[in-house]
Amino acid sequence: MSIEKGTLEIKALSKSFIVDGNPLQILNNINIVFPAGAFISIVGSSGCGKTTLLRIMLGLETQYEGDALIDGEKIVGPGLNRGIVFQDHRLLPWLTVGENVAFGLEKLKRKEKKLIVDEHLKLVGLSGFVSAYPSQLSGGMAQRVAIARALASKPEILLMDEPLGALDALTRMYMQKELERIWLFEKISMIMVTHDVEEAIYLSDKVVIMSSRPGIIKKIIDVPLPRPRDRASSAFMQIKAEILKEFHLETEYPFAYAI
Amino acid sequence: MIQISENIKNRLSTLVIPIVLLLVWQIVTSGGYVSSHFLPSPGTLFHYTVKLFVEQGFLLHILVSLKRVLFGFLIGSVTGFLFGLLMGLSKTAEKILAPTFHVIRQVPIIGWIPLIVMWCGMTELPRIIIISIAAFYPITLNTFSGVRSVSKEYIELGAVYGYKRLKFIRKIVLPAAFPSILTGISLSVGMSWAMLMAAELFIETFDGIGTRIQLGREKFNMPLVITGIITVGFLGLAMTLTAEKIAKVLDRGRAIRKES
Repeated sequence: MSIEKGTLEIKALSKSFIVDGNPLQILNNINIVFPAGAFISIVGSSGCGKTTLLRIMLGLETQYEGDALIDGEKIVGPGLNRGIVFQDHRLLPWLTVGENVAFGLEKLKRKEKKLIVDEHLKLVGLSGFVSAYPSQLSGGMAQRVAIARALASKPEILLMDEPLGALDALTRMYMQKELERIWLFEKISMIMVTHDVEEAIYLSDKVVIMSSRPGIIKKIIDVPLPRPRDRASSAFMQIKAEILKEFHLETEYPFAYAI
Repeated sequence: MIQISENIKNRLSTLVIPIVLLLVWQIVTSGGYVSSHFLPSPGTLFHYTVKLFVEQGFLLHILVSLKRVLFGFLIGSVTGFLFGLLMGLSKTAEKILAPTFHVIRQVPIIGWIPLIVMWCGMTELPRIIIISIAAFYPITLNTFSGVRSVSKEYIELGAVYGYKRLKFIRKIVLPAAFPSILTGISLSVGMSWAMLMAAELFIETFDGIGTRIQLGREKFNMPLVITGIITVGFLGLAMTLTAEKIAKVLDRGRAIRKES
């Protein structure tokens, strides 16, 4: 059986850290398949191990029980088939925007590099900023450069750890639209960790809900809404209520607000 | 318009103290309040200085001193940089080398002079060695701390993109530690210059600015002593400013951040 490129599987995965000499379980028996080409969000309160799970998928954490497989093969470390966008843009301040985007393209010739950099800066809407320095960009722009850098090495899967978490509310909503556009264009798998339920519903095919201590997958909710999605639609609201219920945050009289 | 006059004001304010000093100097010398043996007047000193440069080859002495500093600085800063880099990159290297390094560092540099002279004789070599030691310490310490303070986030980024060893050092560690290394270099320049004087005064020779000052003391030639000291001051200032200027040019990305 061949597996479509861009598939990520987590099988019976558990992970503990040693804190003050005692093992503290972070993830407990996680089983999930991220199918190729899907946009999937992982939501959960802080401390539920969602970032640790992402780091395992990225290959930065290799000590755990169970299996993490990409295209059917065990993840043994970071690789260029997975891109990452961190919450902080993590651009290198001594490199220009263009040089930052080319960070994973070391092996290519100058001409090919330039082509890919231009293409990806255009994709994120920053064509004129090749020779700017990160310090000259706003938070949203810097994060877009980080997305361009992650996509430039043509990953099968883009992992994102609260990529819009540091942005203001309006920039954030705009960037959600941009992310959707980029995902539709690139047609690769995207896995996003977030604590913003609305953001998760707006972007994802499925929302994975995790709960903490130890981190387990509580529920996986499908989002079968057509795109682009209307945050104010009743179907959207219904899914939001369903997810919030898992966090015991649902409003008791939801219609009181509608009047 | 306001900006220009603001600028001129700034420049003038740095000149206030030198002008006042010069005036006081002129007044006390021309008024006969101090003996010209102990303090020649500014005019006398100026004439003497011109004569020194034109007739007595003072420039050659300056060049000899600059050469000593340059060699000592290059040897000390290159070895110091490599040493600091090694200790910064490897915890094992730090464990082995750092304790001895810190004990040896407690000996004031001038304290090494007798030993080095006994080993090498009164030659050019011990002078250069003393200056190298002076340049070695600041750059070692600053390179070490610069390498150690490269943030975890950047190291992770290198790991994500599969950067290994040399590429990792070249592309992430060195640029991130760069400001700290530059600080080390400018401190090394200053230390080298200071130790040049010690090297020339304590390890006697016939050329160099330090020996001229020493000669001036022996012959009770006050203008020579004062000219020597002023020259040392201005050359030191020029070196520090040059080092800072180079640092600013090299540190392009961060310079932009500071401006914005």
